[in-house]
Amino acid sequence: MAGKPSIARIYSGFTRGTDCVVSELEISVTPGIPTFSVIGLCDSSIRESQGRIMSALRSAGFKVPKGHVTVNISPAYMKKSGSGFDLAMAVGILFASGQIPFPKDKRVYAEGELSLDGTVKGTPGSAMRLNKARTNGFGFILIPEEERDSARCTGFEGQCVKTLSDACSVFGFTGYKPERFELGEVSSQKTDRPDISMLKGQEKTKRAIVLSAAGFHNMLLLGSPGSGKTMAAGILSGILPPLDPEETGDVYALYEALDGPSAKISQDRPVRIISPDITPGKLLGNTLSMTPGEMALADHGVLFADEIMQFPSQVLDLMRKPLEEREVRLFRNGITYTYPARFIFIGAGNPCRCGMLYEPGSRCRCSPGSVRRYMSRLSGPFLERIDIFSEMRSIGKDDMAHMYADEKDAESPVIREKIAMCWQRQKERYGGRQFNSSITSPNIADSMRLTKDILDYCSELASKGLFSARGYQKTLRLARTIADYEGRDDVIRQDVSEAAMFRAHEM
Amino acid sequence: MDYTDDEMKDFYYTAVRMNTGIDYKVMREMYDTGLIKSHRDLYDLAGVPESRLNGYALSDRGKGKIVEWLEAEDKVEKACERYMQTGAQNGIFVLSVESREYPDNFRMLGGMPKVIYGKGRKELLKRASKYGSVAVVGSRNASSYALYATESFARDLSCKGITIVSGMALGVDGKAHQAALEGKGSTIAILAGGPDNIYPSENRELYRQIAAKGLILSEMPPGQQPLRQYFPSRNRLIAGLSDCTLVMEAGDKSGTLHTASYAAVQGKEVFVLPNNIYCENAKGGLKLLEDGCNVLYTADNVIDSVSQAILCRKMEYPELSEGDDEQEAQSEGRAAEKEKLAMLRLKADRSPDEVTEDEWKALIEDRLSVKPLDIDSLSGFFALPFYRLSELLIALQMSGRVVLENGKYALTFF
Repeated sequence: MAGKPSIARIYSGFTRGTDCVVSELEISVTPGIPTFSVIGLCDSSIRESQGRIMSALRSAGFKVPKGHVTVNISPAYMKKSGSGFDLAMAVGILFASGQIPFPKDKRVYAEGELSLDGTVKGTPGSAMRLNKARTNGFGFILIPEEERDSARCTGFEGQCVKTLSDACSVFGFTGYKPERFELGEVSSQKTDRPDISMLKGQEKTKRAIVLSAAGFHNMLLLGSPGSGKTMAAGILSGILPPLDPEETGDVYALYEALDGPSAKISQDRPVRIISPDITPGKLLGNTLSMTPGEMALADHGVLFADEIMQFPSQVLDLMRKPLEEREVRLFRNGITYTYPARFIFIGAGNPCRCGMLYEPGSRCRCSPGSVRRYMSRLSGPFLERIDIFSEMRSIGKDDMAHMYADEKDAESPVIREKIAMCWQRQKERYGGRQFNSSITSPNIADSMRLTKDILDYCSELASKGLFSARGYQKTLRLARTIADYEGRDDVIRQDVSEAAMFRAHEM
Repeated sequence: MDYTDDEMKDFYYTAVRMNTGIDYKVMREMYDTGLIKSHRDLYDLAGVPESRLNGYALSDRGKGKIVEWLEAEDKVEKACERYMQTGAQNGIFVLSVESREYPDNFRMLGGMPKVIYGKGRKELLKRASKYGSVAVVGSRNASSYALYATESFARDLSCKGITIVSGMALGVDGKAHQAALEGKGSTIAILAGGPDNIYPSENRELYRQIAAKGLILSEMPPGQQPLRQYFPSRNRLIAGLSDCTLVMEAGDKSGTLHTASYAAVQGKEVFVLPNNIYCENAKGGLKLLEDGCNVLYTADNVIDSVSQAILCRKMEYPELSEGDDEQEAQSEGRAAEKEKLAMLRLKADRSPDEVTEDEWKALIEDRLSVKPLDIDSLSGFFALPFYRLSELLIALQMSGRVVLENGKYALTFF
């Protein structure tokens, strides 16, 4: 006769895309012929855990209970995957079989993968899971030692364990000693970024890069081969202020979900470089494996599209919606997963087939028609999402001499300080993490503190054909950024005329 | 205002033409037979006895007319004095084919008056010849659409330095003058009566402005009332003085059509503003379009046509613009300008803070006059922060001095 099954309840979590679910595990041990079954729409990575758990239990000196072991993972209707349930299952089996005492009135959360010798390992997605578990009021939280970084990023309270025996002793004589994790000092790897002073003789691009960083404006750089377009992207990432703690968490969580415990905490803003051979799946994210795409990975950082003219138009058009909404949406089984994508987009390319259109003199061999056709590869709606246009020409021999002759102090750190201040201004004006480029408000003029005179001047410029109607608002936004960068409360005419310089290209 | 002897002879010529039976046919005869060599010789002819005429092969009709004139000499003399008196009182100047300021466009055509009267800035005639001129004509009771277009085209063309020529009538003419006065260009009004005769009187204020900033012209002597029959002739002068003609709105039997047909006869392009086919007052213009006139929809086409006319004038009549004092004065001015620029460059190098906005603009234009440059190269030349340079370039672009082509800034033609 089978007796009343002894059931233990324990909690763990799993991630799916951007979703993170805390699930309840019920483990029952009933006498009978030894079996092990896991139910609740689990994939094979969970079902295979039997081998790891049994071996780990024995290695830690426990007995594998004789009888039916059934693990039910809820919610039962959601598909689950990942080896992070191992520790919870093992501890649950020990509770159910009475080998360690089950704490009354307290809920236990545990996660981690077990190896055969009982070591507890981290699994990808921990940063997101811990963020969720943190707020759920668990009495005991056990996480693998390897997930310490994730814990630091989420401001988490719990205990790190190295092995299964460590985990068990928490319920025994050593007791639960929760630790408060904090981000603390983060070492920066930002060293080899080129300094902005390298852009000698390319004043327009220099200014464009600074303004792009100051207001999170998307930018298009067109110039001849060798004019330093790729370097410009490196310079931009070098002048961006470091991530704040919350952003650090966002970025780490994403990279951790992808790379697992080997991801490093960094306050450097991510720079993702995409090339014309990128597939839609890589750009937006793969719906099958639920891996984030490059746009999501560039969140809080820079997405650099090299040779933008060579991108297939379908790929460019895929970027339109995320650029507008500043988030990427993936659909799978009727569920929408939303990845934030608040990045600066930089496109770099040639202005014409031979690439020499902007070179001094007339070195371009292209016919006007061919130049027009080449430029029309970028569709109007796509260009509408670009705030700054800048031409780049290759630097002359004089500039080259300047570049290396007067070895001046690095300018980037100074500019980075100024940009941080500029961001602060925008934050104060709009409230929250909003930039001049992204602020949406029914009355832009009011929220940006634009006077009638400025609006009139801007429409006067527009009527002279300096930029199109759709460039009107972009110009105002950019003018606002210039004023912020220069530390002015109000936008003046000069700001508008300078902003207009960066629209001239769209004609 | 005192008139010289030569000018007095010009007045005398007009008096003869206005008060005797001597018409263009008789004039032609006198020239052909060698009786006179210039219109000014008429004055000297006044005192000679009739018998001297026998030495020339004049027709009976011609001879009769001349005798008639010589008999009524007193009347002519009086008229001439009256003209000169009125002219002097009103500050009217006189120009004739003999004088250098006489409009080049008139000189190139046949049948233009030998003597014209005017009030205002004489030098605008040379300017019109150098930078081109456009006649803007149309109905007196024009639709608001035509008036709007008139204003916009006249202002755009005027901003390019083109002179706007019209007839100072109500409606389109007046609007064109006003718009030109607001722009930086100049304007010339050609009147049917004497240049001191304000017609229509509603435009008194406009007349005053044109006389001050522009130029009033007429083939009629001072004091002459505008008579009905003078208007077509005046329209001929409007077409003749300008390089092309814009017809903004013209009814079925409008005088504007005269101007257009004169322009066509003189081999000048006519642009017609397309209009609603149900608009009665626009029928004439639409007929012109049917006859093959150009459609006026952008100022660029007009500017092209004007620059072509300027080029033709230079090619066919190099003597008109070359070798005169003005040219020398200009080259002298240019040398002075060069020196000034050199000084400016020094100043920009040594103390860039003291250079004014206009001086920077001059420096930028000077750089661009060599070849088109991109903004990076420009900023390499001047010790100017980027935002200052961009402000200057935008201002230059707004005023039409500079355009952006293929990522480089270039000077415009005007």
